[in-house]
Amino acid sequence: MGDHLSGLVDSRAKGTALTFNGADVSYRELRALVGDAARVLQRLPGGRPVGLRVRKSPESVALVLACWAERRPFLLPPYDLGVDASAALYRQAGCGHVLHADLTTVDTGEPADEVPDLDGVGPLLTTSGSTGLPKVVPLPDTGVDRFTDWAAGAFGITGGSVVFSYAPLNFDLCLLDIWTTLRHGGHVLLADQERALDARYLLRAFTHARVEVVQAVPLFYRRLLEVADSPFPGVREVVHTGDAIPPELLARLPEFFPNARLRNVYGCTETNDSLIHDSDPTSGDPVPIGSPIDGVQARVDGGELLVRTPFQAGRYLDTAITDRWVDIDGETWLRTGDLVRRDADGVFHLDGRADHQVKVRGVRTNLRQVEQALQAHGEVADVVVLAVPDDEAGYRLHAVIRAVDGTRPNSLTLRSHCARLLPRTAVPSSVELTADEFPRTSTGKVDRKKLLAERV
Amino acid sequence: MSRIDEITRYVVAEFAPDIRADELDADYDLLDNGVVDSLGLLRLIGWLGERYDLPVDDIDLAPEQFRSVRAVDAFVESALVKGPAL
Repeated sequence: MGDHLSGLVDSRAKGTALTFNGADVSYRELRALVGDAARVLQRLPGGRPVGLRVRKSPESVALVLACWAERRPFLLPPYDLGVDASAALYRQAGCGHVLHADLTTVDTGEPADEVPDLDGVGPLLTTSGSTGLPKVVPLPDTGVDRFTDWAAGAFGITGGSVVFSYAPLNFDLCLLDIWTTLRHGGHVLLADQERALDARYLLRAFTHARVEVVQAVPLFYRRLLEVADSPFPGVREVVHTGDAIPPELLARLPEFFPNARLRNVYGCTETNDSLIHDSDPTSGDPVPIGSPIDGVQARVDGGELLVRTPFQAGRYLDTAITDRWVDIDGETWLRTGDLVRRDADGVFHLDGRADHQVKVRGVRTNLRQVEQALQAHGEVADVVVLAVPDDEAGYRLHAVIRAVDGTRPNSLTLRSHCARLLPRTAVPSSVELTADEFPRTSTGKVDRKKLLAERV
Repeated sequence: MSRIDEITRYVVAEFAPDIRADELDADYDLLDNGVVDSLGLLRLIGWLGERYDLPVDDIDLAPEQFRSVRAVDAFVESALVKGPAL
């Protein structure tokens, strides 16, 4: 095990590896935690991936490192994913056991005869899909290696670098702020994902050590700036990602991060980071999504951005889902679903989505998936889920429901139903019952624009 | 009106206006069922701070304390007993 581990955590690293809720964990302590987790993994039957049901903590970080060290593929769904959906994903991935951060294990009872081919795969992450279930994205270890090499160089992450990690553990963003940093002997400040909107907590966590690199969705910077009363001169890299940063918020960043390079990073779970851009806080215009990073190819087809990266998965675990991965001249590309235009300098700008995806609190959410979940409820005859623009959340979801005759489902029962099937961010914030037929466009589709306009 | 009724009324008005207050059980899990999301939690805490004059900015808050109406009521009770933070 020790040999493998040296590739995951810098074997010479000393000092502090992690800080969580005010407590430091040294590299020596981290290696011991990884050893404990590895021994539990070694006792499980081989040849099958494990499911991890964990929130971000030193113990869960060690568990992930142990999976890597033991060459055990691991499915890492959102912690708040509904229990029914989680069980379906464990089944799809062929997980024999589910592990928790305290190293308790639960036998899934799934037979061992339908384990997909996961040769060379480490993490199995998830992303929102248009069917009822999230899509599982198997990331090859070679891609992860290339990504951490790139990220360390691009953001200057070396031994002793202090990096702030805001995203939940299941996000691909952790490949940069946690996994790249630990591989290079740096110090990660882990924000508790359960307290991600508590501004005073965030300020305490952020100021525990002198942060040099921070990557987060715009909502984090908004919260931090609400309570910060002095600048952070030690920060040299500010990465905003996951959602478009409002220009008024970007304009305030230089005052708090006077010595930082401000950059937007664009990517998705399937391909990891793809485009990068030096953000101009003085422009007042929407920030472009950027230009291809080293080794990334990008093209536009019918207004939609296609990318091919050295880090990409190249497939979904469910190979029946083929709508996004396309073969062009023998190469595998991802249709991102983002509508873009390219300016005279070759920089890409985001114009919108080709499908029904929106970001809710920085999490990619497919309105169709939410509609399918609601449609599966016995008292729902018809449903439209609208994305209502919201200053803080980006969008909030509003469901308009036509009930089956003689029934009257209420917002509690419908949201409980959704909560079993969907991540928390995909549960509608509000539910409205209507007796009216949905308005239709001339082609017979539900007129979402009209429904939305009547409600904003 | 008891405090627990008052909290129930606020939660229903703010997060589930289509139901009656007596339809919301005091032990119903507001977080796991997606009724109160993370931004909703901040609104709820802000309201508690104003309504019961609690120094919520100075109290260490954990989402667990707001899992149900009964849990919220217990949180308010303990915050009032401790009195204003110094």
